[in-house]
Parts: sequence; C-alpha cells; structure tokens
Amino acid sequence: MPLNQDVLWYKDAIIYQVHVRTFYDSNGDGIGDFQGLEQKLGYLQELGINAIWLMPFFPSPLRDDGYDIADYNAVHASYGTLEDFRNLLNSAHSRGIRVIIEMVLNHTSDQHPWFQESRSSRDNPRRDWYVWSDTDNRYKGTRIIFLDTEKSNWAWDPISKAYYWHRFFSHQPDLNYDNPAVREQMWNVMRFWLEMGVDAFRLDAVPYLVEREGTSCENLLETHAILKELRRKLDEQFPGRMLLAEANQWPADLRPYFGEGDEFHMAFHFPLMPRMFMGLKLEDRKPITEILQQTPEIPSTCQWSLFLRNHDELTLEMVTDIERDYMYDAYAEDKTMRLNLGIRRRLAPLLDNDRRRIELMNGMLMSLPGTPIIYYGDEIGMGDNINLGDRNGVRTPMQWSGGWNGGFSTAEPDRLYAPLIQNPVYGYPAVNVLSQLGSGHSLLHWMQSMIAVRRSTAVFGRGSIEFLHPANHRILAYVRRLGNESVLVVNNLSGAAQAVELDLRRYKGNIPIEMSGRNIFPRVGDLPYLLTLGPYQFFWFRLRRI
Amino acid sequence: MAEDSFLTDDLLRQLINVGEVDILVGLPTHNNAKTIGSIVQTIQSGILRWFPRERAVIINADGGSRDGTPELVTGASIDDVRRGSNPYALRTLHSISTKYANSPAAPVAFRTILAAAELLQAKACVVMSPESSSVEDEWISKLLRPVRNDGFDLVAPTYRRHKFEGLLITNLLYPVTRALYGVRLREPYAQEFGFSGRLGGEFLTQNVWDDGSPGDGIELRFTLAAITTQHRMCQCFLGQKDHVEQRGADLVPALRQTVGPLFSALEPDFPFWSAVSGSQPLPTLGPEHEVLLDLVRVNRKRLREMFATGVAELAAVFQSILSPDTLAELQRIALLEENDFEYPAELWVKTVYEFAASYHKSVISRDHIIQALAPLFRGRALAFITEHRNGSAEDVENSIEALCLEFERLKPYLLEIWKSRE
Repeated sequence: MPLNQDVLWYKDAIIYQVHVRTFYDSNGDGIGDFQGLEQKLGYLQELGINAIWLMPFFPSPLRDDGYDIADYNAVHASYGTLEDFRNLLNSAHSRGIRVIIEMVLNHTSDQHPWFQESRSSRDNPRRDWYVWSDTDNRYKGTRIIFLDTEKSNWAWDPISKAYYWHRFFSHQPDLNYDNPAVREQMWNVMRFWLEMGVDAFRLDAVPYLVEREGTSCENLLETHAILKELRRKLDEQFPGRMLLAEANQWPADLRPYFGEGDEFHMAFHFPLMPRMFMGLKLEDRKPITEILQQTPEIPSTCQWSLFLRNHDELTLEMVTDIERDYMYDAYAEDKTMRLNLGIRRRLAPLLDNDRRRIELMNGMLMSLPGTPIIYYGDEIGMGDNINLGDRNGVRTPMQWSGGWNGGFSTAEPDRLYAPLIQNPVYGYPAVNVLSQLGSGHSLLHWMQSMIAVRRSTAVFGRGSIEFLHPANHRILAYVRRLGNESVLVVNNLSGAAQAVELDLRRYKGNIPIEMSGRNIFPRVGDLPYLLTLGPYQFFWFRLRRI
Repeated sequence: MAEDSFLTDDLLRQLINVGEVDILVGLPTHNNAKTIGSIVQTIQSGILRWFPRERAVIINADGGSRDGTPELVTGASIDDVRRGSNPYALRTLHSISTKYANSPAAPVAFRTILAAAELLQAKACVVMSPESSSVEDEWISKLLRPVRNDGFDLVAPTYRRHKFEGLLITNLLYPVTRALYGVRLREPYAQEFGFSGRLGGEFLTQNVWDDGSPGDGIELRFTLAAITTQHRMCQCFLGQKDHVEQRGADLVPALRQTVGPLFSALEPDFPFWSAVSGSQPLPTLGPEHEVLLDLVRVNRKRLREMFATGVAELAAVFQSILSPDTLAELQRIALLEENDFEYPAELWVKTVYEFAASYHKSVISRDHIIQALAPLFRGRALAFITEHRNGSAEDVENSIEALCLEFERLKPYLLEIWKSRE
C-alpha cells in the first residue's frame, strides 16, 4: 500500500503511539526492539492506523525513558541497529504507515558528550552550548515543571563549579539556543533522520528553548523564531514532512506555534484531554465545549492533535485549581496515582474498565476536530501498574497473548525491562490481542471498525465543527462539515439514558444515516429532532439530502 | 398540559433537560422583580461557592408575574451558550421557571417544587423566600449542608430579630408547636428552609393537596408533617432577615396563613400530639436566637383600642368560642388603662387553646374563628410590648420561655376541652 502523497496527510492520519521497548521483543532479551515492531506492523495495519509515533530510541542512560539523549545520530543498542530502524521505516512505508519520531530539542542527557565537554572547563569550545551561571538567581520567574523531584531550575555542577539551567530533571541540561552553533547542530540532527526517510518529528518541550530575564522563559518570541527557521529549512529541503509540537499550554498560548502556517503543522491540544475526562465524570458537556470554544482558529494547513492517554501522566497543568482538585478526587483518589500535576494511569483503569465509557471517549477522540493519537495497548484496554515508579506503570509490555510473557518476549520473566500487568482484571491472561482477535465483539474489533468509519470520510480530519446546544447538558452534539458532506455527532455523557431535542432546522430535509450500522433515521423536519440515547451511547450520522 | 397532572408539558420538558440533581433550590414567586434578581444571584453564588461539584438546579414556580420575574430567574442559568456573562462554574447550572396559575397560590408553588424535586431525584432541597433583602450566599450552605452531609431531613432557620418582631411566632406559633408537638422549633412557619428529597417525596404523596385544607401555610403543614413522621430535624441560625416590604401588616391574612393551618393540622395529628408530653430541644447550628433592642415606635394606644373594641363587638362570637371564665377575664382586662394593661400568660394560653378546640369543633365558621382571634392577639402583643418596653434580650427570652412552659403546663386543659367538645 503506497503512502498517501497528499502534503496534508497528517490531517487524515490516525496515529499510534508506541515505545519500541514496550511493543515486541524479537531476540528474546526482554526488551522490545525495531525488528519486533516491524514484525507487528501487520497488526497495526489491520487496526487501521496510518502513522506510528515512536518514543525516543536514541542512546541514553534512560533516566527519563529516553528523553535524556546521549547521542542524536544513533539508536540505543537495546533496540537494534540503525539498519534495523531503516528496515522498520521501509516496511512501515510499504504498508502505508508513516513514521513519526521524537526529537528532544530542548535538552540532552548530562551524559551527552556535548555536555561532558561543556562542563569540563569554562573555556571549552562547547561551554556555551548549555546555559551556565555563577548564581542560581537568574530567571526567577520561571516555574518548576517536575515539582515532585526538582526544587530549582538550576543545578550545581561540581566539575565546572557553576550552575546549569534545566527545565526538567537536573540530569537533563538545557541546550543554549542563543548559540548559533547549537541551532545549526540540531538542524543537522533532524536532517540526518529526514534523509533516512522519517516522515515527521514530534518536537519535545518546545516552549522552553530560549531564556530571558524577567519572563517566564516560555513561549518567547525568540523561541518561535528558532522554530520558524527549522520549519523553513524543512519545507525547503524536505517538503511533505511534518512537525508536531509538544507544548503543554493554553490554547491562546498554543496558537503562535502554528504561526501563519509557517511554524508547526500540528500541536497537541493539551487542555482538551482532561476536560473530556471531566465532562464524562460530571456528565456535563460544559468543560468540553468551553475549551473548544476558547480554542482559536488555526491556519488551514495546520491541525490539532488529540489524545486520551499517552506515555506521561494525565496532565492537569492546563486546568484550574478547582478542576484539578475535582479530577484528583474523581480519578485518583489513591494518592499514589498522582504524579507532578497529573494522574499516572491508563485509559481503561481511569474509566473503571467500563466498555461503554471507553467507547464513548474513543468516539469523541475520533470525531472532534483534530488527528487522533491512540496510545499502544489502549485499543485492547490494557491496565497499568501504579506500583512501578514514575510513569513506568503505563509503559509496561504490550500484551499479545495469554501465554509466556504475554507473548511479548521469550526471555525469562525476570529479564523483562518491566513486569507485565498480572492482576486478574487487566493482566495479560485476561486482556490480550490474541483473545480479542478471536472475539467479534472485543474492544479491539470495535476499535478497528470505528477507525474504518473515521477513515471513510475526510470530514472528521478536515471538516469544520458547529456545536449544537441542546438544553440537555448531558448531550454533546456537533455537526462536522466539509464541502457538501455533513456528519452529525451526538454523545451521551451520562450513565443514564437520555432524551434530547436537537435544533436541526438548518438540515431540514436531510436523512440521518447512522454510520456504523448504516441504518436510516427519520428525516429532519421543522420540529426539534428527538433522539434517545442509552447510557454513554453515541451516534455518528451522515446527513444526506436525497 | 397532560390530563390529571398539575405539571405542564413545558416544565416536564425542562426537567428532562435538567436530569438528576443533587441540589434543588425552590423559588416561589409572584411579581418579585424588585428583589428576585439579587436573590437569584446570591443563590447562584451560594451554589458555586459551597457546592461547586454538585448537580444543582433552581426551580422557579411563578404565580403569573407580569413584571419579568421569571426572566430574571432563568437568567441565572450557567451553560455553554451564554459564555460571556457566566461566572466560573465547573458544571452547568439550570435555572428554570414554570408558571402555574394566573394568581399566586403557595400550595401550588410548593407542590410544583416538591414534584420537581421528586422527578429530579434531588437529594437536598431548599426553598428560598423571594422577598428577603438580606439573603446571603451562606444561607444556601447552612440550609443544605445538614441535609447533604449530616442526614437531617428538615433544616429550619432561626434569625436575629428585633424583640418586638415576629410576635405571632414568639407568642403563638412557637409555643403552641412546642407544647403540642414536643419540639422546640423556633420558626415553625419558615419561608427559607432546607429539606431532604426523601421528606419532600413523602409529603408529596400525602393527602393534603386536593382537599383544600392547607390553603396558605403549606410550609407549616410540611414542618408539622416532618415532626409527626419523626424525620430528623435541626435548626440553623441565618442571621438577620429583612424584607423589602414588611409583610403581615394586615393581621388577619397572617393568621389565616399560620394559625389556620396550625389548627387544621391538629385534627389529623391528634393521635400524635395528644401522646406527647413536654418538649425536646433541636440540634441547632449557631445561636437559637438573637434579639435586637433598638428603639421602635409602637402605637400602643391603637392596639389597646382595637383589642377593647374587638372584645366588645365580638362578644357574641366569643361566647361560642371561649369559656365563660376566659371571656369574663378578657372583658376585665379590656377595661384596663394602657399603662396598666396586661394579658397574663395563663389567660393567653387558655384563649389560644379554646380557639383551637372551637376550630376543631367548628362551632362557627372556621374562618370567622381565625378572624376573631385577631383583636385578642393584638391584646397579647400590647401586653408583651408593654411588659418589655425596657426589657433586655434576656428578659424577653425568659418571658417567651415562661410562656412556652405555660402552654406545656396547660396542655391537659386543651386535651380536656378538645374531648369534651367532641
């Protein structure tokens, strides 16, 4: 299956996020690898996704799950070789699947040779590749992101007897983007992978590239200028490739990352995700519609990236204090589930393994404006292990079968990079790909069919959205439109059956056709359109004027 | 409107949209545009401040206002349509209005509120007066929290009052309720009160709506029903209560709203109250009462004249209602000079009890009995004011307590005449 050559391919994409380490171990060493992932591309193709996003696979001391990179131009030996990666890339492309890789621009590992050189002496040529200071009083207005572990954004380096700047862990020194040599070097890194054939970068932690006194050191104009320069080079030398921004910010602050269509192609919509969970728990569409109404228009070539869960905690940075308290009480009563300003849990446990709620949330994920990202294992309802530290509880091995090591690896269980989920509800004997493939009504089959419906029309990826405001606040209803095509989406956020009257006068004469079963519903007339929905039920109707 | 239902289809449609709620605020209105805007805003603030996570609704039962009252109430909704003017809220707040008739009728309004609470499965409810100008958002919390958190079924208010304010309550309603029903409930006829959905649902099914008996004062019947069905009750101090326009300037309507329902309730409740002796205090959050002592002008001369005139002109009526001894004593004190005037507690208690028994027996038209009580109450009020012209808060409270004890002491007298007249 050839790759879609449309330069806006990312608008129609369904992205599957996976860490090479977690997916499939081909050589029996207990760690997932490129060859293992390549062997499972058929599964992903069957699922219906058309892009994979690989978490960092570079050489790294792995003190932050690979986001602490020690060499940008190689792969971690545990995952295979560069050749293995090339083979994976080519196989994915041959199946019509694009490959998005991580690029951590903001910082390196403190084990990176650049930092080792930089700290070695104050007159080292790479001294200015990082942000050094004789005091820890600079940039006082800057927040600390990892509140649970870090007390300051400055760390003392006993070797060079100076402080270095770090926005994340202290073992991740920030690169100095005021230095042209750094900017040039990081473009060279990106070019290295682009020339190999990667389709896109997810650029990590982009708001923090530049520091300026008296500011929050986030979202600075200087940072945007650097990003625009990267985009310009990308478009000139590698047209059709894509940049995805990781910027955990409010919508208004995120908007500049799209520029005038000349910065990022895509950006995660971080504030929406917690509000989807909030709306579901409150049984009230208000949090969802409010944040989407506050979301500014973006250039036509740009796209939001939507997700329910990912490799990090369910971040609650972009909510109010009242909302955060509510979310903690609603979804993380056990304080061990909380990390930093978030909740370190997977989708299924967050939703009490309620199939109806899991389906509803995925239904919204795939019908709201943006490109959906599915976190590996969520398509089968994998659980988590909150007894593992940091965010490792949501990064356990993929559960392929009920057999040895859940089908993930032939290694001795003790050698696995992380223990498999073993509890009776979410353990691999109960939740695995093989058994769900054998059951026509499994979550996996349901996900396959919904992805197919989503991909049957471009309206979800490219269409406009018009919210309906039925008086029943438990119903979230909207119409997606693209050209002559209109799709009505009606979601019941409540655990009880609901009746709703929709004002569809604008669509008078249209016949709603339910997109999963293809059944027709009564024609839209002058009166409010009455629908009844079961608990957590949702409908996608194609509105046809016949 | 569907047959056999007092709920309109429009209200039902609105309730469907609201769905199940945790908290319901009932607001009976009729041409309250002067006050309702600020009251609704205060209610909204109270919900958002004290119950930000709860599913809440404001239900306005309006008796056909022509001054825009319903629109002021529905303007308090918080939704995702009118974003600009909304205060911050975690969830949607519905504020809906229904018109039940072209005239104010408290029982219909209250029944509508109870029905809405039942249909919405409201766990904790509060009824707020549309006339209080001193309402604070904390009242919402004080009236709902005991229901929501502590399992009480009825939360009655207590207020900071002037020593001569609410004399009908302090000299009649409170002591009679206390003596007969055995509960020291300071405000048996409250216009703000909290209650559980459970109590509301039970009262809704009682046979009090279609027999025409409750008329005004349905809230009093509700309170008495809570007592007789032995639901958990408490009191909560709200602070000062002001009205934009002082109600009750006309005494007879006030008696019809309060004493009428009280006397009416005594008949069905006889098995209960006849078995009660003494009284028990209620759990009270905050002080049971606070008394203001500001100087106020009272036309005592006019009160005495109205009392004396009434005793004289209604002598024939009183002969049907009162015992000869009581009537004779009333005729004696009617001749007292203003400064010497007194209406002793024992005489007042006997007066009230004999009226109650006569009401029960319907010796004459029941409404005439209630009307006939008006001049006598004026006499009692005059005596109370005269006695406590310079009295301290403690003096006033001691006097009320003594009166209550007198009602309790003479309760056997009521039982005796109640039965004898049967």
